[in-house]
Amino acid sequence: MTEKKYQMLEINLTTGEKRVVDVTADMRKYIGGRGLGAKLMWERVPVDTDPLAPENILYFGVGPLTGTLGTIVNVSAKSPLTLRGGTSNMNGHLGIELIYAGYNGGLLLTGKAPKPSYIYIHNDKVEIRDASHLWGKNNLAAQQALREELHKGLEDQNFRIATIGPAGEHLVRNAGISHDFYHHAARMGMGAVMGSKNIKGIAVRGTGSPAYANPAKLFALITRFHHDARLKKAQDRRWGHNISIARRYYDTTEGVKNKQLGWDPICDQTNSLVLEQQYKVWNDGCNMCHLGCKVPSMRRDPPLGPTIAELRHDNVGGWDANCMLPGFDVQVYLSTLLDELGMDNEDVSGVVAWMMECYQRGLVSQDDLDGIDLTWGNLEAVCKLVKKIAYREGIGNILADGLKLAPPQIGKGTEKYAITGKGVAITSYELRGSMQDAVDMAVVPVGELHGARGAARWMACDALTVCGFMIRPLHEVFGWDNVGLEFLPAAAGWEVTPQEWHDMVQRMRLMERCNCIREGYIPERDDMIPDRFFEETIYSKYGEPKILNREEFLAFRKKTYLSYELNPQGIPTRESLIKLGMEFVIPEMEKRLGQW
Amino acid sequence: MTTEKAPEATIPVLGANKSGWGVEDMPNPKGVGLIQARWDLCIGCGACEMACSMFHYGDINRELARIRIYRYHVPIPKSVQNICCQCAAEERECEKACPLDPPVIHYDKEKFHMVVDADRCLGYKCGKCRKACPASVPCFYPPEQNCALVCDLCERDGVRKPQCVEVCPTYALEYMAPQFPQHLERIHPDDKAAYLAKRLYPLSKDRIQQTPEEIWGE
Repeated sequence: MTEKKYQMLEINLTTGEKRVVDVTADMRKYIGGRGLGAKLMWERVPVDTDPLAPENILYFGVGPLTGTLGTIVNVSAKSPLTLRGGTSNMNGHLGIELIYAGYNGGLLLTGKAPKPSYIYIHNDKVEIRDASHLWGKNNLAAQQALREELHKGLEDQNFRIATIGPAGEHLVRNAGISHDFYHHAARMGMGAVMGSKNIKGIAVRGTGSPAYANPAKLFALITRFHHDARLKKAQDRRWGHNISIARRYYDTTEGVKNKQLGWDPICDQTNSLVLEQQYKVWNDGCNMCHLGCKVPSMRRDPPLGPTIAELRHDNVGGWDANCMLPGFDVQVYLSTLLDELGMDNEDVSGVVAWMMECYQRGLVSQDDLDGIDLTWGNLEAVCKLVKKIAYREGIGNILADGLKLAPPQIGKGTEKYAITGKGVAITSYELRGSMQDAVDMAVVPVGELHGARGAARWMACDALTVCGFMIRPLHEVFGWDNVGLEFLPAAAGWEVTPQEWHDMVQRMRLMERCNCIREGYIPERDDMIPDRFFEETIYSKYGEPKILNREEFLAFRKKTYLSYELNPQGIPTRESLIKLGMEFVIPEMEKRLGQW
Repeated sequence: MTTEKAPEATIPVLGANKSGWGVEDMPNPKGVGLIQARWDLCIGCGACEMACSMFHYGDINRELARIRIYRYHVPIPKSVQNICCQCAAEERECEKACPLDPPVIHYDKEKFHMVVDADRCLGYKCGKCRKACPASVPCFYPPEQNCALVCDLCERDGVRKPQCVEVCPTYALEYMAPQFPQHLERIHPDDKAAYLAKRLYPLSKDRIQQTPEEIWGE
């Protein structure tokens, strides 16, 4: 079988030069998406680069399975939030347009555009166009304006658009990239990187062919999967992914009042049946996904007026009981506001909850907060503070730096209450409810992203650019170990053996880890969770005490390192790096670690 | 020790023989039939496009599909399908519009579906059938397939087995005998989206919420 060629579109924004790079060899090693993003960062971003400088890259990664199972686009850049390697996912249809346009290795942006611009890609017609009329607009308005402009004279609506909001333009360090308004690559400040490059948006349309290696075999696999999995996780079509919040409150794994409590009566206001029956509008989904778990919810009544939003665990979990802002009316309003401004709901809610606790404890005064009375559950105050953060006004200018850089600027003992891991806010998770969750989140080298983002399955999905919600159905239908072996030959023409497949996944995982170590990440020191989880006991609804034991945590973490095939300190062993053909990282690693 | 009693043979077991998906338990129409699209259920996955291009061309390429998914923002994303509804003779605008005689795009009265004579079709440059159809159903994909692409109900050797219906994960496509005049299904996708958008009233097209200042003042 012939192996497929993979081509990446590289645009140097400084010079306006565009070229198509063959990345077949790198894709074969690092799969694509998150893996190839880490490799590109290693190659192209010098150590200690300012993430908002033109030297940083912004990679919209697609992979060999884009367009075959729940499509995602993985966005990689050095993160302004953690100052190390960063990665973020967005679902939707952008990836499939890149594939149809012929760039099945992704889109790489380097340099910095001289003036506000957007990128226009229609097959091989690639242009950097002026976006001064879009600059300053909110996400939705910008996307609608861009859409109207592009669809002139076209017969369909298939231009896919990703933009940043005002937060990205103002280089707010937890700004995200919005695609089709409710898919967001929100985490780790990818929107700020895009804003620092003066890029307001990306519009892609392709009418080529995906040219999979063996379409008939791939079709058989996809239809078998759709057939067998059609009922697996299909409940998500009813409520979207809001459902897990309610269960998590009862498991004490969802944060309440910035992790001060394990339960509060307002937790019971999150009932997914109410969401389905009262707020749901319809279903929409992503490319080639049988679930269609995007369930927009709508509210109409005053005082908040008509608003529509997509509620998920990730974007509302941090606001709900964590900031004591319960009820779907409030969630729908807040979530939309953050989406409009182009910020990460999860991270900003962490910043706001941190400020709320500091205010509660008297560490910051109303004067410090520019007159905002930031009591728990004060929606008006939260909205005003959020807007200040988005436009970097007053106190917002400090808070917009995120939980790594803002606490030292405020000082006065407030650092202690910042619930963060490596600068990424831990908001919609309460770690005392589950040691597994705590360790899984702690050992992700890029930061405490939601879920077990460092585990092999998640990382493989991010690299194949398959949605993480496909993991369970895929495992139940094919068995996880067979997914790569079945799909990669059909989609890419790579005849991989089980060992090769294991090596590919392991290689991309180590690449990301080494990339972070080069920027100063020391696993033993940084893979920690805030002390609060070891020191304060919380109680579940039924009075069950929950607290983590530090020794147990460290022992579990060590076990996890070994299961990730690292040494007990969480560093890749020299032998494994040589075995996987990554000798080129060793000299750089020695600069940080000496002879390890 | 009690043993479980075998169910009596006369008691029907619901769903015992059900092995498939979609509406394949329902008998396919024998005579006139169409694929009815339930656009409120469409999630925009594109599985139907994949199945269509695979059946007709052995490739996965949505541009070759005869059913198309249009993805709108109204202002939030919503996808709707667009597919030929095999109109009755009097309403067949594409056939009337074809400049050739006999028309390239016409109805096969024996097999009950539209047919395009690919060799004679004038292609994309002509495009009169597409312009005439109120729903702009006939598609072209030059240069590979420079002839009108129209649903043939996946008819092969007299057997009709629409693949998009088989594959749709949300049962949003149904293969059935017409329940009402077919051409009433012939709604342009733009209009379909507009109808669905009315559900969102009173949201506006480019703004879907009031700003905090409007609600609470400066």
